[in-house]
Amino acid sequence: MEKIRIALAQINSKRQNKKENLHKIEEFTKKARNQAADLIVFPELSLTGYVMRDQVYEQAETIPGPSSRTIESISRKNGIAIVFGMPELSKKAKATIFNTAVFVGTRGLIGKYRKMYLPTHSVFEEKRYFRPGNQTVTLNTALGNIGLCICYDLFFPEVCRLTRLKGAQLIVVISASPAVRKNYFEVLTTARALENTAFLAYVNMVGVEDGLQFWGGSRLIGPTGDLLAIAKYDQEDLVVCDLNYNDIRTAEPSIPTLRDLRPELFDELKRESEQF
Amino acid sequence: MQLASDTLEIDLSEALTRIKLFIEEYINNAGVDGIVLGLSGGIDSSVVAALCSLSIGGNRVLGLLLPERETYDPKDIDDAKFVAEKFGIQTQVCDITPTLKSLYATIPIFDSKDKICRGNIKARARMIYLYYYANKLNRIVCGSSDKSETMMGYFTKWGDAAADIAPIMDLYKTQVRKLATHLEFPDKLANKPATPALWPGQLAETELGVKYEILDLILYGLERFMTVEDIAHQLNVNLTLVKKVRNKWLSAEHKRRTPLTVKAGYRTVGLDFRLPRSGN
Repeated sequence: MEKIRIALAQINSKRQNKKENLHKIEEFTKKARNQAADLIVFPELSLTGYVMRDQVYEQAETIPGPSSRTIESISRKNGIAIVFGMPELSKKAKATIFNTAVFVGTRGLIGKYRKMYLPTHSVFEEKRYFRPGNQTVTLNTALGNIGLCICYDLFFPEVCRLTRLKGAQLIVVISASPAVRKNYFEVLTTARALENTAFLAYVNMVGVEDGLQFWGGSRLIGPTGDLLAIAKYDQEDLVVCDLNYNDIRTAEPSIPTLRDLRPELFDELKRESEQF
Repeated sequence: MQLASDTLEIDLSEALTRIKLFIEEYINNAGVDGIVLGLSGGIDSSVVAALCSLSIGGNRVLGLLLPERETYDPKDIDDAKFVAEKFGIQTQVCDITPTLKSLYATIPIFDSKDKICRGNIKARARMIYLYYYANKLNRIVCGSSDKSETMMGYFTKWGDAAADIAPIMDLYKTQVRKLATHLEFPDKLANKPATPALWPGQLAETELGVKYEILDLILYGLERFMTVEDIAHQLNVNLTLVKKVRNKWLSAEHKRRTPLTVKAGYRTVGLDFRLPRSGN
C-alpha cells in the first residue's frame, strides 16, 4: 500500500475509567471511519489516563485481555486499524507492568511495543511502576511497515533509528507530554522524522491530571521534516490526513542519512556509553 | 545558566492559558458550583480573583473581604472592590474583629505581645471563614500563594496557604506582578508592596530581608540546582544572603507537606501511599 489515511485521535482520557475511555475510543474510531481513515492512533495510556500512581495495579491488563479484545472488536466493526496505549500486565507475574503501545488490525492483534525509556525525573515516576521493554518494534502490516515508540523514547534517537533500520516507513509515537515540555517535543518529532527520512505520527494526550496539563499538538511529519497536519493545542481533536510512502523515495536522495550511516560509530557508541 | 533581570521572563499569554485551563478543568471535574477566595486587596489575591473570573465567569466566584480592626486599611478594601468590579466578581465583607477578640479572650496562655502567634490566628481565622462559605455554597477555596512565599515558607501553616487549589503557586512574585500588568491592572496595584496583613505596617520585603527582584532570582537558581556560590557570584550579592534564603527554603518543607508520621504499616499516608488525586 503506497497511500494511507491516518487519523490522529487526540483525546482527554478519563482517569481510571476504562469503560468511558473505550467508549470514547469507539466514538472517535467511528468518526475516523466516516472520513475513510485506515489507521487511527490514540495517546499513551489512553485506555486509563496517565497519572495512576498506585492505582496502576488495579488498571493493568494482559494483552490479549478484556480491553484489547474490545478494541479488536471496535477495529473489526469499523474496518480501521487502531494504535492505543495501556498498562500491560505481565502474563507471568501479578504486578509487573509495562507501558505499552498496542497495534490492532481489523483481523486482530498485530503487535505491541513496550516503552523502553521510562522517565523518572521531575514529575515523572514511571520506573517506579513499569518494567522497561527490551526491544524496538517495527510491524509489517497491511498499512506498511510501522514502527512504534512512546513519548520519552523520542529523546533517544536510537529507538526511532532502529525502527527505521528494521524497515519502518511510518513511526507512530504515542505520548502523554505535559505542557512544560512542549518545546522539546516540537523539535524532537521533526528531528526524528527528518533524520530517518520517515513519516512520523505523533499523538499526544490532552486534559489535566494532577496538575499536569497535556498540550495536544498531535501531528504528522513528512520524511523531509515538513509538518503535514497538526491538531489543536489543549483541546480534544481528530485530524485525518493522508500520507504517501512514495515521498520517502524522493526524500532519501536529498537527505541520504541512511546511505551515510557509519556502523562502526555504533560500536564506539556502545563502548563509550558502557564506560560513561 | 545565566541569572539576569530577564531570566524570569515568561510567555504571559501561555501562562494565562495554562492557568485558566487548570481552574476550569478542576472546577468542572470537582462537581462544585464555584470558587471562594479571600480578597485582601493585595496583588496575589487580586490576580487570582481575575484568573478565576476569566476561567469560570465572575458570577461563580465569590471574593470574601475579611478585614479586622488592627490592620484595617480602607485602601485595601478599595483595591479589592476595584478588582471585584473589574472582573465581575461577587463580594461579601465579614469583619473578623469580634472572632479574633473571642479567640484571644478564650486562650488561657494568650500573649498579646507575641505578634507572630497572634498574627497566625488571623490567617487561620480567615481560613475558617473561607471554608465555611465553600462548604455552605458547594464551592472550593482557591488559594493565592505564589512561588516566592511558598518556597520561603512565608505563610501561616493551615492559614493563608490552606486551599483546594493554588493557581499561581508556580509563579514567582515578580512574575505575578507582570501577569497583573498583562491583565491590565493599574501599575499602582500591580506594584503594590506585599503584606500578609497580620499586624500593622507589616511588609513582606522587610521581613524577608531582600527585594523580590533579587529573591526571585535566588530562588530560581535554587530551583535549577545551581550552587549558592554560583548564584551569589552571578547576582553579585552576598553569599550569606543566598545561604540564608536556601536555609529558609529547606527548613520550611514541613509547612508544605502532610504531617509526618512514623513508618509502621505497609503503605503509609504521606510517605508511600502514592495515589492520584480524585477527579480527572
